Amino acid sequence: MDKSALGPELLDYISREIVRQPSIELTLDSPLISSGLVDSFALLDLLLKVEEMANLRIPAGKVQPEDMDTVTLILRTVERVGKPKAS
Amino acid sequence: MKKRYATIVEALADAPAERPFITMWRDADDITEITFGRFREQALGYAALFASEGAEEGDRIVLVLPQDVMVMSAFAGAMLLGAVPAILAYPNFKVDAAKYSDGLRGVSRNLKARLIVVDDAFPEDLLAYLPQETGTRTLRCGTVISPPSGSLSVVRDAPDEIAFIQHSAGTTGLQKGVALSHAKVLRQLKTLGNAIGLTPEDRIYSWLPLYHDMGLVACFMLPLAYHLPLVMQSPITWVMRPESMLSLIGQYRCSVGWVPNFALQFMARRATADLDGVDLSSLRLLVNCSEPVRARSIDEFVSMGADYGLREEAVHASYAMAENVFAVTQSGVGGAGPPRRVWVDGRTLMEDGPLTVLADGNDEGARCLVSSGSCLPGNEVRIVSSRGEAMPDGTPGEILIRSNTLFQGYFNRPDLTERAVQDGWYSSRDRGFVLHGELFVLGRCDDMINVAGKNIAPQDIEETVCADPRIHDGRAVAFGLFNPDVGTEEIVVVVEVYDEVDRAETATIARAARAAVAADLSAALGSVYVRPPRWIVKSTAGKPARAASRDKLLRELSC
Repeated sequence: MDKSALGPELLDYISREIVRQPSIELTLDSPLISSGLVDSFALLDLLLKVEEMANLRIPAGKVQPEDMDTVTLILRTVERVGKPKAS
Repeated sequence: MKKRYATIVEALADAPAERPFITMWRDADDITEITFGRFREQALGYAALFASEGAEEGDRIVLVLPQDVMVMSAFAGAMLLGAVPAILAYPNFKVDAAKYSDGLRGVSRNLKARLIVVDDAFPEDLLAYLPQETGTRTLRCGTVISPPSGSLSVVRDAPDEIAFIQHSAGTTGLQKGVALSHAKVLRQLKTLGNAIGLTPEDRIYSWLPLYHDMGLVACFMLPLAYHLPLVMQSPITWVMRPESMLSLIGQYRCSVGWVPNFALQFMARRATADLDGVDLSSLRLLVNCSEPVRARSIDEFVSMGADYGLREEAVHASYAMAENVFAVTQSGVGGAGPPRRVWVDGRTLMEDGPLTVLADGNDEGARCLVSSGSCLPGNEVRIVSSRGEAMPDGTPGEILIRSNTLFQGYFNRPDLTERAVQDGWYSSRDRGFVLHGELFVLGRCDDMINVAGKNIAPQDIEETVCADPRIHDGRAVAFGLFNPDVGTEEIVVVVEVYDEVDRAETATIARAARAAVAADLSAALGSVYVRPPRWIVKSTAGKPARAASRDKLLRELSC
């Protein structure tokens, strides 16, 4: 996995598929949940996307919404709790 | 229930010690399993702890703890002591500290709480403004509680005393502590258990929050009183992994559960990962409750579940509320089939007067409505117009409820109780109709917004967004719009600005509104519309008219 590419790719996905408001410019440190831009229903999309990109499994029980509030935090969470996917 | 218990405490004391009670699932390698015996010991530990902190019989104890075994044993511990527990939602990270403290202060003041119990991780700044004058103390406690060494006087014989207090969401909800006696809770559990044919072989599944009646009564008090095992997760784990509900039901052979309407649709559409080998054949009853029941949500879930052994007849419906302890109606009682469906002319739903019932859904504008079942024994409903006239079958109006499990009143708020209960009938402020002896719930009479089973007062949202100085004071309207893609309402806000603003400023105003509502009310706004001066439609009294402003917006958007 090319970690440096993950952030921009995830940010692009969030802008296009979740926030869907071209007038809102997001950065790696833009608050997503605390700003009300991303609701709890979209956490699933975030989680699945990150898992797909990082090729890791994220145990949901070890993740709180605050761990997913920015792209930077999401990537940190992946490093902290990500597990190899069962083959 | 095996016996006629006088109190919930007595029911807990009678549970076989070795019988499994709670399985708290966080992840495949992070599961807590606890028997009734161990749960009782933990509850006694909390009772002793609360007693050592000065709590006595009748004292109110507010629990603000994450969804886990700890909050459940602390709740039972307070009841063992004869104290009155109330669970409040654990704050999420996006709350505004001042607003949250304000809400907590309001609750503890109204309840004249002896203790507010929080865990070690609870943010200190949220406790900053708690009232000292009422003698409320804050207690931080850990998860491991040892049984008391000395003897503890356990209260068992006070059936008419208040067992616990429930609050609903939002600033308005926090003023209303629904007080429920042991006798009424047990009567509801007995009636409900009989209606759904509970047996000792049943096992309950839940991800529902414990500060909500569905989570607390149906998925905690019910298994406690019937000595049934319960498999649980937290709501946030479920929302991030909706498929885990299905795999846990299969893995633990769960047979009974409750969910709000949106959850069925959410799982049908989104629980797509890792379902290989999932077996839902053990599930004999999944009750759609706490939101108006939607045919499409049920159909999508049943269709998806059929591939995994779900029985079509397992999905039922109920109409429930904290003020009645829980269920008023339930479908499928006594072997009756799935909840009844009727087709009506959708135009008649928007007008006062009788609905036009259609033979099928072939006509343009036909709407399929699903019943929430018929009244449980001891429960009655009456449909009345806004002038209080009784409505005949098939004519919508406000749902009034009379039952043998109706609450004592809102704690310390006789004014609110008097407004809500008249001549023994509780005004639900829900709109619905009766047909063929079954209740069909349409939504709220007032403007209350129901998002994923949570009632949010539009006034709370409007007040929050109007704190922005760019928004004309008092010129904001919030309302719910049903989003068929998610199966629940989403919150729409229209705000009127003092001066015309450009596109960039519009975006920042909308962003600020979202952030403020997320912080104050833990709710996400669906859409925010910023409109120029004099856009919002006002009533004759000069107040923003929500319905008229909503219609204006919808007309504008459809152009």
